[in-house]
Amino acid sequence: MFQEIIAFTILGFAVVFLIKKFFFKSKKKKDCGGGTDCGCS
Amino acid sequence: MSVQNINVALIGNPNTGKTSVFNQLTGLNQQVGNYPGITVEKKMGFCKLPNNIKANILDLPGTYSLNASSMDESVVIELLLNKNDKLYPDVAVVVTDVENLKRNLLIYTQIKDLEIPTILVINMSDRMERKGISLDIPYLEEKLKTKIALVSSRKGLGIEELKELIVSYKTIPHEPCLNASVIDEEYFKKLQHAFPNQLLYKLWLVITQDVNFLNLERNEIRSTFTKSHSELKRLQQKETIKRYQFINDVLKEGLKIDASMAKDVRAKLDRVLTHKVFGYVIFFAILFLIFQSIFSWSTIPMDFIDSTFASLSSWVAAELPSGILTDLLSQGIIPGIGGVIIFIPQIAFLFLFISILEESGYMSRVVFLMDKIMRRFGLSGKSVVPLISGTACAIPAIMATRNIENWKERLITILVTPFTTCSARLPVYAIIISLVIPSKRVFGVLNLQGLTLMSLYVLGFFMAILSAYILNKVLKLESKTYFVVEMPSYKMPLFKNVGINVVEKTKAFVLGAGKIILAISVILWFLASYGPGKEFNEAENIVKERFANTTLDETQFENEVNSQKLENSYIGLMGRAIEPVIQPLGYDWKIGIALISSFAAREVFVGTLATIYSVGDTDNESTIKSKMQAEVRPDTGEKVFDFATGISLLLFYAFAMQCASTLAITKKETNSWKWPAMQLVFMSGLAYFTALIAYQLLK
Repeated sequence: MFQEIIAFTILGFAVVFLIKKFFFKSKKKKDCGGGTDCGCS
Repeated sequence: MSVQNINVALIGNPNTGKTSVFNQLTGLNQQVGNYPGITVEKKMGFCKLPNNIKANILDLPGTYSLNASSMDESVVIELLLNKNDKLYPDVAVVVTDVENLKRNLLIYTQIKDLEIPTILVINMSDRMERKGISLDIPYLEEKLKTKIALVSSRKGLGIEELKELIVSYKTIPHEPCLNASVIDEEYFKKLQHAFPNQLLYKLWLVITQDVNFLNLERNEIRSTFTKSHSELKRLQQKETIKRYQFINDVLKEGLKIDASMAKDVRAKLDRVLTHKVFGYVIFFAILFLIFQSIFSWSTIPMDFIDSTFASLSSWVAAELPSGILTDLLSQGIIPGIGGVIIFIPQIAFLFLFISILEESGYMSRVVFLMDKIMRRFGLSGKSVVPLISGTACAIPAIMATRNIENWKERLITILVTPFTTCSARLPVYAIIISLVIPSKRVFGVLNLQGLTLMSLYVLGFFMAILSAYILNKVLKLESKTYFVVEMPSYKMPLFKNVGINVVEKTKAFVLGAGKIILAISVILWFLASYGPGKEFNEAENIVKERFANTTLDETQFENEVNSQKLENSYIGLMGRAIEPVIQPLGYDWKIGIALISSFAAREVFVGTLATIYSVGDTDNESTIKSKMQAEVRPDTGEKVFDFATGISLLLFYAFAMQCASTLAITKKETNSWKWPAMQLVFMSGLAYFTALIAYQLLK
């Protein structure tokens, strides 16, 4: 039962991900000012 | 003490080493995105500086001046004129090449006139001695009213000094280089009178440039100060002449070149590499070496990855408690991920070679060389860049057409670029070639598999230019064209730049394609593990009845049940429904499923087959390749992946438009559904009929 719940949840995520990816345009814009780590100093 | 954030814009002509400076400043702290609303690439990075300052460094597209002729250049102007933009620079860093200082300084003087604090970077300083160049830096700083950083981004010299200058950007003078009034005194006097609070040069750009301005009343300015197009052009030319007069005066004293000390091999190399015969011979020899190496070098890591994932599947199946989740992991998710990871070595090697060719300056010679051929097919030399960068992915390649000024040439380039063999095709080619082409040497040295791979790349390129030729004859669009290409100096490729490029491109493939492949693998596993009706649910009884008179051992019985289930699962029913259409091409229903699932993205093909062949397979230890190799047609007992089917599949994937994202970007770039629809119909039709002919002739 436990395995089934997790397996079908993964399936749900996969379906939603693909629908979002191919049928809905992402409106999220990356904010480029949020990084903290810096390897140059 | 709180961190102070500042925006730094890196600006400069193409080929000045701007991106190398960006890489030196930011290391791997980079993000790539698009400018809002358009598809010109935006590279952003971060750098911690002394005095608790964090610099957000923006690598702007290479541009020759602020007189925009392409979308790339418009991006630079829009940013520099819009103080409300969150990326508006606190300081501009103009990167120039010490060997082309005169031309590179034009944009510097324009930016300076916008009264933005501007630092001048004179790059490639390591070449000064070899070229007999000496600079009077204090004199140049005084005349150009700025601070100068003498840098060798390739050797990492002068980067610390540049960082210090960025920290102290507030001390840089704001004075312009050129008084804008000299362009047309009467006109500019009126302009200043009407808009006393605005910067004169900014007003001039608003009048002359066709870009979006958010904070200036463009219509108001234009309607009051309208001039004819030819008059504006004349004044722009006058402005450019004035700027070059200023630059000449400055460089007369500030830059000395002792020709007797220059040791230049560039001209000699160019004579050979752009020669009308040897140029092409060398180019094809280089291509040939690349594809031979891709196949030879990547075999060992690929085999290692393949067997590692096979062992992992087997371990998961043995160690985890049996159940649906364990099956999903061992038969769906792990083979699916393996189908992506396995191609990292080949993709990394491909980008390694392409980056080395770009870094060394050779790619510009290829553009020059190919222009003569391209023109005959209705393309421009600039089309070579999208066609070559299409080997990575058609999407950025189609975006790269934005620097082609002629609309007809640009449209044709957009339409034919998807024929170029992209990295998503590579996994499909690699696995099928390894299955149907023997790994033997031809003439003692040439690897036949590498040769086949190269032929497919050449075939894609050939089909692209052939289609361009047809489109050039069919499309009735007239526009003027010209071609200018800059030949950068030859350089030893910089390991850091090559490395960053390889990591970025490989990461983009794995993460971008990987998520889709993983999701599709999960769905496919469910569709292959469940089915409607008696044929699926009572598979065991059906097999028992079918083999009532035959003795089957336990494994044989299990395989027969699994085969019965797979054939009657949801995916099996879908595959069998399309089988009549694809059978003439030599494909069975399992390949048909892979064709459908890879419609959105080609690279899903191998992952799909890996998942389908894993479902119900009692031997989890087998690798993807061995499973495909062992697959036989149930009616004849012959191998599914024989020579005829393999060639048919290779041709199908060479021509088919199996990429939803490319269709979307074509729609965006052409602003019409007509062109992507045409691409889809033409490419799919061509793929189907070529594969059909190949299979029917070879079977």
